[in-house]
Amino acid sequence: MTEVVMPGDRIPAAEEMGKTKKVILGPGLRRQDEHVVACKVGILQHKEPNTFWVDSYQRRYVPVRGEHIIGVVTSKAGDIFRVDIGSSEQAALPYLAFEQATKKNRPDVNTGDLVYARLVVASKDFEPELVCVNSSGKKGKLGVLSDGFVFNCSLNLARMILRENCPLLAALTKEIPFEIAVGLNGRIWIKAKSVKETIAVGNAILAAEHASNEQISKICENIGNILFI
Amino acid sequence: MANKNSSKPKLSKGILEMKFMQRTKEKVNKEIEAAEGREMYSSEITERMKNSKSNFITEPSFVHCENLIEGRLSFRGMNPEIERLLELEKAEKEATKRHEQSTDVSNEDMAKFYHDAKAAGAGRTMENKFNKYKKVNAQKRHMKDVDANEAQPNQGGFAGKKRKGKFMKPSEDDN
Repeated sequence: MTEVVMPGDRIPAAEEMGKTKKVILGPGLRRQDEHVVACKVGILQHKEPNTFWVDSYQRRYVPVRGEHIIGVVTSKAGDIFRVDIGSSEQAALPYLAFEQATKKNRPDVNTGDLVYARLVVASKDFEPELVCVNSSGKKGKLGVLSDGFVFNCSLNLARMILRENCPLLAALTKEIPFEIAVGLNGRIWIKAKSVKETIAVGNAILAAEHASNEQISKICENIGNILFI
Repeated sequence: MANKNSSKPKLSKGILEMKFMQRTKEKVNKEIEAAEGREMYSSEITERMKNSKSNFITEPSFVHCENLIEGRLSFRGMNPEIERLLELEKAEKEATKRHEQSTDVSNEDMAKFYHDAKAAGAGRTMENKFNKYKKVNAQKRHMKDVDANEAQPNQGGFAGKKRKGKFMKPSEDDN
């Protein structure tokens, strides 16, 4: 069932369910008085038991609390780094939000560095704020991304790669060993053993955007064949 | 603030400063703060917001809707540090899964089995325990019924209770 919705369309299925039980309205849907209306163009999605959202094509990132993104450090300003995350406003990354950073021991982050960080503040009214540590103060998988190659893509592609049932990364890693960081702000950072392999991985990912699952495995196989002739 | 609360009696500042009034003071302060907060947002909070019990929860992130995984991955030894973290996560996930599968007899079946079989073991001993109380309670109830029948109707069951511990006055004093 694919149902295309336009901004302002009411979602009767969600309204009906809301009369009897809790309903989760994901991105692209909002409540207006008693109605549930779409606020983006896209395909209405439903996940059991009670989640509705709109899957829309988008390239502009709107910060959401808790999401992992890739940002570019643009400047150092006092005790924060300014980071471009592709949203309407730059985000702030305090230098204390790194593992084992203290006032005396500043992290080694310079202008132009890439950081994989988590959004802790994302509000309409103030600037987004990032951290590079988890709740227990460990860096985990966050932090500065050194070397590698970063490129922009649509937010949909970033989400598609991260879906649990997506075969892309599994198929690609059979051909080439590589390391990847996918930011939900539509930035993908990859690092492979050589420039040639990095380009191959990047192209495979970009080609996968409008491909079906079978096509994806074929694309990956082709790339492997071309690389290692 | 003061004229708003004038209908309610207020404790004076001097009393609130006393040592034994500290807990009350805290409470009073909290009330004042809450009232201030309400006043501050009174223009924004509508009546509907105050008493609406909505069934709708807004979730601004795709991560929970689409069950997205974390986007930092490494394959075939490119970054051992990340791969170790991924391994740990995987092991944790599997451990929780196995825990769920470990019960091959459901709780209901278990209860039924004990009830039907009444075999030796926990079921029997527990039942015996309750049987003992059942017997005592039944006796008590029986006695009470008898008492109630004997007693006058206007005194009710109260008389029966009184009879148990009746004080017998000695007939004469010995001093």
